[in-house]
Amino acid sequence: MARIRAAVTKVERFPHSDQKQVGEQVVDGSPNTTKGHECLSSVSAPLQPLFAYASGLSRRDFLKRTGAATILLSVLGAKPSLLAAKETEPFSIHSKPDNFDVITHAIVETVQMHLFPDDGDGPSAKDLNADRYLLWALDDPGNIEDGDRDFIIQGAAWLEDLADTELKQSFLVLDWSAQAALLTRIANSRAGENWLSLLLYYLLEALTLDPIYGGNPDGVGWQWLEHQSGFPRPMVGKTYLDF
Amino acid sequence: MSNALQTNSNSQFDVCIVGSGAGAGPIAYELTKAGFSVVVLEKGNWFTEEDFVKDEQLARHRVFRSQIEDERHVLEEPTVDGKWSSDTSAQFWGGNIVGGASNFMSGYFHRLKPQDFRLVSEFGAIEGANTVDWPISYADLEPYYAKVEQIVGVSGRVVQHPHLEPRSTPDYPLPPTAEHPIAAKFDLACKSLKLHPLPMARGILSVPLNGRKSCEYSGYCGSYGCHSGAKASSRAALLNDAVATGRCKIVTQAKVYRLNTNGAGEVSSASYFDARGKSIDISARLFVVACYSIESARLLLASKGEKHPNGIGNRYDQVGKNLHCCAGGTGHGVFKLDRLAPDVASRLKIRGPFFNRALQDWYVIHDKDAFDKPVKGGTLDFVFDPPSPTAEANSLKWQRGNLLWGTPLKQRLKAHFTQSRDFKFEVFCDWLTNDECYVSLDPDEKDKWGQAVAKVRAGFHPHDLKVAQYLVDKGVEVMKAMGADEAWGNVFTSPTSNLVAGGCRFGDDPKISVLDKNCRVHDCANLYVSDGSFMPNGGSVTPTLTIYANAFRVADKMIEHLGGYRAELG
Ligand SMILES: Cc1cc2nc3c(=O)[nH]c(=O)nc-3n(C[C@H](O)[C@H](O)[C@H](O)COP(=O)(O)OP(=O)(O)OC[C@H]3O[C@@H](n4cnc5c(N)ncnc54)[C@H](O)[C@@H]3O)c2cc1C
Ligand code: SF4
Repeated sequence: MARIRAAVTKVERFPHSDQKQVGEQVVDGSPNTTKGHECLSSVSAPLQPLFAYASGLSRRDFLKRTGAATILLSVLGAKPSLLAAKETEPFSIHSKPDNFDVITHAIVETVQMHLFPDDGDGPSAKDLNADRYLLWALDDPGNIEDGDRDFIIQGAAWLEDLADTELKQSFLVLDWSAQAALLTRIANSRAGENWLSLLLYYLLEALTLDPIYGGNPDGVGWQWLEHQSGFPRPMVGKTYLDF
Repeated sequence: MSNALQTNSNSQFDVCIVGSGAGAGPIAYELTKAGFSVVVLEKGNWFTEEDFVKDEQLARHRVFRSQIEDERHVLEEPTVDGKWSSDTSAQFWGGNIVGGASNFMSGYFHRLKPQDFRLVSEFGAIEGANTVDWPISYADLEPYYAKVEQIVGVSGRVVQHPHLEPRSTPDYPLPPTAEHPIAAKFDLACKSLKLHPLPMARGILSVPLNGRKSCEYSGYCGSYGCHSGAKASSRAALLNDAVATGRCKIVTQAKVYRLNTNGAGEVSSASYFDARGKSIDISARLFVVACYSIESARLLLASKGEKHPNGIGNRYDQVGKNLHCCAGGTGHGVFKLDRLAPDVASRLKIRGPFFNRALQDWYVIHDKDAFDKPVKGGTLDFVFDPPSPTAEANSLKWQRGNLLWGTPLKQRLKAHFTQSRDFKFEVFCDWLTNDECYVSLDPDEKDKWGQAVAKVRAGFHPHDLKVAQYLVDKGVEVMKAMGADEAWGNVFTSPTSNLVAGGCRFGDDPKISVLDKNCRVHDCANLYVSDGSFMPNGGSVTPTLTIYANAFRVADKMIEHLGGYRAELG
């Protein structure tokens, strides 16, 4: 019986040599790698040389690294595997808000600024409308089904909990470096890293997707990256939700 | 989106085609022009140029492909410990709309070469491989290559080189597409290495043809649908014309799940589920299966009948066997822009025109240091990856296993997008057919219509790796000669899921083939298979030009079968 590659849209694709194993995913009792060859691709344009098969990689490693790149573009979502995180290492929190209340929203917005700060070079998360984009994207039925909305909310509550128990303060009132230190800490746990990675996933969508989706206003992200968009661009009535 | 034509279940057609991609288009085009009525059953929807905006989200959300929840494959691959992995996968759905994956192809359109039709005779048998010579020769297919180049519009320029295949036409009907400035750098490097750089033939119009516009060089080509009609998809280049004859009906959202056979073992009707899940039968005189290799084999295997207890064409357990992909690898050359003169750097940044260069100097490898006798080699295509900035940006957030964010991430993104250019090559060589690469019906997994899904076992032959590595190394040398700051490459053994063929190979001996040399099923007199399933081996190039050419050849055989051109057409 084949294992269901349940996390198919959440397969994290790593830039070849810069790969990170998110973890083993257990779907039907048997471990299953979360990194498949879902798409043949090399869109991820590695920055560092790969090692050829001959240079001593095990065949399986080799397969995983190369992903058999050819013409087909890897355009499937590259989401972190939430399943792995949720099942093996759930956030421990006392209370979990079930929606984006004001605090959750503010936490997410603040974390986004850490992820993509206003550092004098290029747009910040705020300039990208990353927070509005995230709220919009989390309403996509596919993303809801993936559990992203709940996971983002849960992670924010967890972060707040941690700040509260350890520093006796809300995350929101910590100074920038204390916030940064806490984020570095949670990144050491798989669940925490997955949470940040998922936030980044949507943030980078807000950086590079067409402005019609609400991020990248006036193509500010494209201009910074000197990226030339294709044409014709998506327009009202021809976004991916209209097909 | 066009409206699907309504067909009622009592309609009679001369020809019923299952699928509407590259294998289907030529049949519909030729048969309707010859005066026959044709119905095309396509499980996807019908989109037009207006729908193909350049939006990464369309591909990220698989808008034009089957969703894994609805339909999937079981994929088995060899593991290091000598076992087999087993996963469900959606990677083999390359395009499930009218025109199939041909809407999204990059359109590298090389011909096969005479040796590809006679691998065993030319190079000898290889242990563990099921290679056979073809029942037809290159000369039999050549007129059809020329025909496809003319009808669907192939652009290119013939350049003399040691492995140039014989041609009946002196050159391509259309001049090459516009070229990126990197091509000049490439040509110089190749000359210094005494190689023969070739402008790559593309299934892309460089000038307008038959009401289709020429390429507009959006830079978003492979993986994206074509908004100008320049890409030689089955839909834009063939089906539109077939429909215009008034003799071709395209029924969309028609998922064919069985071919029904009569007491004589011939196909009497095709059963499909419509959009609401209702089962409908369509009858015709001749039937054609062109669902993309894996699904074509699956449909034949699922079509059991009194005369075909194991599926149509499967008397000798051959259906689904000898499946193949493209073996090979890829490589990259990265140019650091800040180390180049500003004008050179700005030219390298241009997006739009194609790289469009190929090397076939090693189509046959004569190198005693590497192989003890001449072996079949392959093609190196120098190309651009389809732009997909969101996927690219997301891949950069990981560095040596750690998640990167904040200013370090921003700097990495900026450097990647603005300070370097990555040029790529792709290597294509034979994926040798073998006993561990085949399609069967999965005993457990079902699609949303309750039908058994196809199981793909994707074993490869170690010989392919040696050849691929040899060619990848050559590609890296070329990148270095071009002055790349970094150059590397790697071979792969995973199936190239967008370039699958075989599974119902043709041949004269029914015990080791499914189709006769005209691509008619050996034991089913009115059923043809016209996609890439027929190919005993794929050649060392992408297969679609050959699928087109062969389907035009099969169309001629079918017209003969039906008694020639309809008299009233003169
Ligand atoms: C991104 C990409 C890039 C590519 N680039 C190149 C390239 O540069 N050069 C090249 O030569 N090739 C390329 N290819 C491959 C090329 O697209 C295929 O070789 C070609 O389309 C195969 O034709 P086909 O008719 O077998 O299948 P398809 O074109 O896939 O058509 C099959 C059709 O049948 C339909 N179908 C399947 N089962 C059923 C059923 N049961 N009932 C009804 N309908 C059904 C499908 O929905 C589909 O529309 C590329 C493919 C992709 C995806
Ligand atoms: S680059 Fe040319 S062929 Fe490709 S999609 Fe754009 S117009 Fe069509």
